[in-house]
Amino acid sequence: MKILIVEDEPSLREIMQRALTQEHYVVETATTYAEADAKLAAYTYDCILLDIMLPDGNGLHLLEHLKQQRKRDNVIIISARDSLDDKILGLDMGADDYLPKPFHTAELLARIKSVLRRGKSGGEMELRLGNVSLEPESSRVRVAGSELPLLKKEFDILLYFMQRPNHLVDKSVLAEAVWGDHADQADNFHFVYAQMKNLRRKLTEAGADIEIKSIYGFGYKLIPPTE
Amino acid sequence: MKLIYRIALRLSAVLIPLMALWATLFYFMTVDEINDEADDALGDYSELIIIRMLAGRELPPLNDGSNNSYSITPIPREYAESKSHIEYYDAEVYIPEKEETEPARILSTIFCDNDDNYYELKVAMPTFEKEDLVRTILFWIILLYFTLLITLIGVTTWIFHRSMRPLYDLLQWLDRFTPGKPGSPVPDNTNITEFHKLNQAVQEAADRSLVLFEQQKQFIGNASHELQTPLAILGNRIEWLLDNTEPNEKQVEELFKMQRSLNHIVRLNKTLLLLTKIENGQFPESSPVDIAALIGEQAPLYNEIYESRHIDCHLDLPDHFVVSMNDSLASTLVTNLLKNAYVHTEPGHRIDISLHNGTLTIANDGDTPLDAAHIFDRFYQGHKKEGSTGLGLALVKAVCRYYNLHIEYRHANGRHYFIVTWPLKRKEK
Repeated sequence: MKILIVEDEPSLREIMQRALTQEHYVVETATTYAEADAKLAAYTYDCILLDIMLPDGNGLHLLEHLKQQRKRDNVIIISARDSLDDKILGLDMGADDYLPKPFHTAELLARIKSVLRRGKSGGEMELRLGNVSLEPESSRVRVAGSELPLLKKEFDILLYFMQRPNHLVDKSVLAEAVWGDHADQADNFHFVYAQMKNLRRKLTEAGADIEIKSIYGFGYKLIPPTE
Repeated sequence: MKLIYRIALRLSAVLIPLMALWATLFYFMTVDEINDEADDALGDYSELIIIRMLAGRELPPLNDGSNNSYSITPIPREYAESKSHIEYYDAEVYIPEKEETEPARILSTIFCDNDDNYYELKVAMPTFEKEDLVRTILFWIILLYFTLLITLIGVTTWIFHRSMRPLYDLLQWLDRFTPGKPGSPVPDNTNITEFHKLNQAVQEAADRSLVLFEQQKQFIGNASHELQTPLAILGNRIEWLLDNTEPNEKQVEELFKMQRSLNHIVRLNKTLLLLTKIENGQFPESSPVDIAALIGEQAPLYNEIYESRHIDCHLDLPDHFVVSMNDSLASTLVTNLLKNAYVHTEPGHRIDISLHNGTLTIANDGDTPLDAAHIFDRFYQGHKKEGSTGLGLALVKAVCRYYNLHIEYRHANGRHYFIVTWPLKRKEK
């Protein structure tokens, strides 16, 4: 899988490249609009991470060029300007996703996986880890083929972790992701713990070979089965 | 008060003493002149009588149709010597032909004949009625006053409006002017130096304020946008450490603390951007939003998040309350009010949320009243809560201002009340 990172800020480019390389992607980078344009004309990528605010041009024009060249590269727009207009415009112009800065690495990886999966399977969105499979659209979870009934929050938590295997997630980040904007300011995270306890019990009882591990009581990490 | 009214009032006020003074002077001058003439005539008349009398000739007849009269009275020498020999004065005299008394000018003089007999001669000449004169002068003065006043005000108004037109053009322009919104240029079709200068000054001030307003608006937005990339870098690097260096418990704790602080900045930044966007009016798209449903959805969520506080939350909501709002702003409004109530309610206390006739009331227990004047200000916090941005209520206020909702804070009977009122009841079942 080949990914092009178009980002002018060196430090961010470097850490994105490092994270993606670790996930076994082949990563190339472009620091300017001109460089990106040249690379896009010459090569084909599975996914392009496109910062639209580039020093020498608007990244959105690259989308037009891709369209003109009839290329079907997946594009995730990365923008410091979290604006609905940009988002709508970008998606209209053929981008597959829109990720506002600042983002979590795990979020970026999840979005890349999701975009690639969508591109490959033509819309089918099943997530699979070990013997657990999850369909985000129909909210169904199967463990070793048989359905596992989950409550809404349990499902949301599982989805969040299935998209971020091996990532250590702070409870407050999880709370914000699942409960909403203000949840990370709660006095304590008993409510996260309660849901997590039920989810883990259900997964174990169903015989799942993935495990959501508690790390020192601060956060959780989904450990997929070692192959 | 309009300037022209003030000018008219002043003109009338100045004219009153001026006219009064003039009327008085005019009266005394007239009286003086008439008396002078009368005294001359009386002098001549008395001389004639005295000469005739001393010459022993026939005295003029008393009844000569002129209403003039005289009397000659012999007086003792002592009396004559005690009195001044010539005296003019006003008095009422009886005129037999007319059978009435009339005001008259009287000359009283004393003379003696060749035999040393003293006589007092009083010559009277009917003059004018002073009251009549005063009344007439008063009447004409008042008439003059009003005529003058009306003419003066009329002319002044005309001239005023003719010459002040550029000023009124400018005032109209100022009425239409909204700070921060570019409009038509200041009208400047005048060749009067003063107005031209004023127009130029206003134009410059307006331009400068527009530039400053834009700069200020953009500054927060730009600063926040510029922060996004470094924040992303920091966050990603912390995540990389967490995922790739197998940190020990202490290190994980520290990294998580860093991450939480970072998330706090991220949230602060996002909120500032949101505020800027609201104030820039960048939420044009409105859709029907059911506020009742939104509260019904959000309140249990907060109940769950703040479960450990055992807060008793009572909802009194209609089935639907649909308003036209941007849904993300509606949610901003509701969640911030709810969060505020949950965060500031002591464990075990009670929150009441009611929605009736377009009025949303969120009441929660709390003994100390908050400073109603500043509670909606940015970064105003009665007591600092960890992780709070200090922007929640500022956001609420901004959303309310954006949609012309009325928001009010009250403290009564040991409870805080936040009351949001929608201006028009759109739809309620």
